[in-house]
Amino acid sequence: MTTRRNLIAAAAGLVLGASGLLPGAAAAQDYPTRPITMLVGYGAGGQTDLIARASAKVLADQLGQPINVVNKPGAGGAVAANELRNMAPDGYTMLFQSNAVVNAAPFLMDRVDFTPDDFEYAGMITAYQTGMAAPKDAPYDDLPGFIAWAKENPGFAYAALSAEARMYMDRISEKEGLQANAVPVQSGAEMVNTLIAKQVAVAFSGGIHYRYPDEIKTIAPTTTFRHPSAPDVPTIEEAGFPLAMDTRTVIMLPKGTPQDILERISTALKAAETDPEFIKVTEAADIPIMYYDAAAAKQEMHDTYAKNKAILTGSD
Amino acid sequence: MDYLLIGIVDVFTGPSLLWVAAGVLLGYILGAIPGLGKATGVAVSIPLTFYLDPVSALGLLIGIAKGSGAGSAVSAILLNTPGEPSSAPTALDGYPLARQGKAQKALKMGLFASVIGDFLSTLVLIVLAAPLARYALLIGPVELCAILVFSLTFIGGLSGGSMIKGLIAACFGIFFATVGMETETFVPRLTFGFLQLSDGISLVPMAIGMLAVAEMIVQAGNLRELDAQAGRMKDGDDPDDRRITGAEWRRSAPAIARGTLIGSVVGILPGLGASVGSFLSYGATRRASKTPEKFGTGMIEGVAAAESADNAVVPSSLIPLFALGIPGSVIAAILIAAFILHGLTPGPRMFVEQPRMVADLYVAMLSASLIMLALGYAGQRVFAMIIRVPLRLIIPGVLLFCCVGAYMDTSNVFSIYIMLAFTVVGFLSRKLDFSFVTFLIGFVIAPKLELSFRQSLQLLNHDWANLARHPIAIVFFLAAIVTVLAVARKEAGHTAVTVDTEREERT
Repeated sequence: MTTRRNLIAAAAGLVLGASGLLPGAAAAQDYPTRPITMLVGYGAGGQTDLIARASAKVLADQLGQPINVVNKPGAGGAVAANELRNMAPDGYTMLFQSNAVVNAAPFLMDRVDFTPDDFEYAGMITAYQTGMAAPKDAPYDDLPGFIAWAKENPGFAYAALSAEARMYMDRISEKEGLQANAVPVQSGAEMVNTLIAKQVAVAFSGGIHYRYPDEIKTIAPTTTFRHPSAPDVPTIEEAGFPLAMDTRTVIMLPKGTPQDILERISTALKAAETDPEFIKVTEAADIPIMYYDAAAAKQEMHDTYAKNKAILTGSD
Repeated sequence: MDYLLIGIVDVFTGPSLLWVAAGVLLGYILGAIPGLGKATGVAVSIPLTFYLDPVSALGLLIGIAKGSGAGSAVSAILLNTPGEPSSAPTALDGYPLARQGKAQKALKMGLFASVIGDFLSTLVLIVLAAPLARYALLIGPVELCAILVFSLTFIGGLSGGSMIKGLIAACFGIFFATVGMETETFVPRLTFGFLQLSDGISLVPMAIGMLAVAEMIVQAGNLRELDAQAGRMKDGDDPDDRRITGAEWRRSAPAIARGTLIGSVVGILPGLGASVGSFLSYGATRRASKTPEKFGTGMIEGVAAAESADNAVVPSSLIPLFALGIPGSVIAAILIAAFILHGLTPGPRMFVEQPRMVADLYVAMLSASLIMLALGYAGQRVFAMIIRVPLRLIIPGVLLFCCVGAYMDTSNVFSIYIMLAFTVVGFLSRKLDFSFVTFLIGFVIAPKLELSFRQSLQLLNHDWANLARHPIAIVFFLAAIVTVLAVARKEAGHTAVTVDTEREERT
């Protein structure tokens, strides 16, 4: 009697369990069956928004479902990322964002405490050519040249758009004994303005300055790689400062999103590498395409998180 | 010049003109609906333009931007709820006119002033884009700081009844502007732990709450009286109430000219925006008037001044974008994305590499002005009928659009909370007779003033003496001091006179 009851219970449990499992598995296999929402943590019209919309178009073509881009600006993407954390991990809500929101923001903003393990990553597609830029006719072409000039000109001004920018100049100044004035700017456009009008000696750029090749030059990329747009300029690490922090655009999903959905998006994203329209958009904005698949993206998040933590909190 | 002729042919033979007209119509409607505005309209339409040819796409977007500038006057005049913050000064005199049965007169003046300001400013863009943009670079943070200090002196002229109350309201505006991430050291200020506040309080939901929602609540409390009034108002019997007389044109012409000039200059300067332009123009016209005390009771010049400047800002804010690739306004920043998407990189090389496309664009912009005139003129009769609809039917719809508009600003419910919080502020300021105009000016100017002041400190290397290298800044600082002294003297004169009469009465 008891065995029989147990058997029934076990069977019921099996059926229930299977019915609970099956749709999930089926959903992952057929994914996507309905439109997908892509959050962007910046206002419409910025550089990252532009790349996000171009990527959304490629993904929509590849996945066969429309992708709605929704701008949720606030705190450099932290507001959007916070919301993503509470979304269902079903692959129908993703965030297209600079990975700085996870690998730098937690060390710079009080209320942000993301770690790479809070999200899943479906791939990276472009890199930011962040670096130090100067007016074209400035009497220095690289970081050592600038430092030599700065020693002769204490009290020079530089434009800082972010907390990272201040950190860079503080570290360089500390080591070399420079005296620098940080001019706060609030947008990439304003930063470019200060350079073209020669109000500042250098500025820290997110890469937007490459649009003004006649007026602005790069003197030191703050990335681990040399910029494709200026391959002859040595990076900040080559100049002896181990401070390079890479920033890339990444597609983030809520923790627990099934692996095969991540793979599906990751494969779809790879098509952007060769999509003529995507290439047109990125080339017009001087943004290099550097595709990472889901696994590589996850690895990159963990590596840069550890490296940036060491640099930004000074605990190295 | 040859290219302009080709441009005319291109625009008038292709589908572009149709799309420009669609953009203007869409913008006009979006602008007229309180809560929805040009930034929302343009941002939402960008994906739609993927499938259009470049000129049609950009024409559509610019049409939306231009149309909404003119459309926002409609709701300001008819409902006392500006469709966009920049039309708030239009309501100050436009709404009293409508209440006097002169709605069509006010609507016509709003439309004509909008079109003239827009058209002239577009011409300025076409003729002067390159040389002016170079000049705009001379206006660095130090100069901008001085200009903003000078423009704050306009608050005195806009305070309404009591200057003290006007200044208090302005201080509150400045106070609320300090919320958010501090720009130099990146320390959050007054955010109370809300990440959503780290970029500061957004102007759009705040203005919607203060201007539109608060006004609807005030009107809802007055329903019986307003219904009775609506019965009487309709349109005046005098045909002069429906059109603009020659004498009014003569009074308004200088206001429009001044507004266009102020709007164009504000547009070129980085980061000021349409609201600053229309408020400054309204203030300047009021100061220049022989009867400043009558403003706020239905002066047609007030409508002309505010609307001409509001619309002149949009084309001229494209000057830095076209000539240097630097966006001078929110609209311009959004347009950059659209430009690049359609293969036109804004900046000086654009004129060399794609002169034909630029010419097409210019022609599209000019025709947008004319389409705006035609659409607005045809529409104003229809719009004026709104005033006959009982307010009890209008209020729920307006409130719905207000919530939608606030939400769309950030796609976040938090924006609606901000809107509601400022509804309370707006309601109290109306009931206690504090000027929400000076509040808004304080709010709009303060962040730019703080940023440019801090930038100036750094650029001047913390030394007063370095100011000597910025003569433009010195001129504006002196002008500000002179204005404050002049106003103070005038005020002192007033008080002295009243005291004297009192004494006479007693004796």
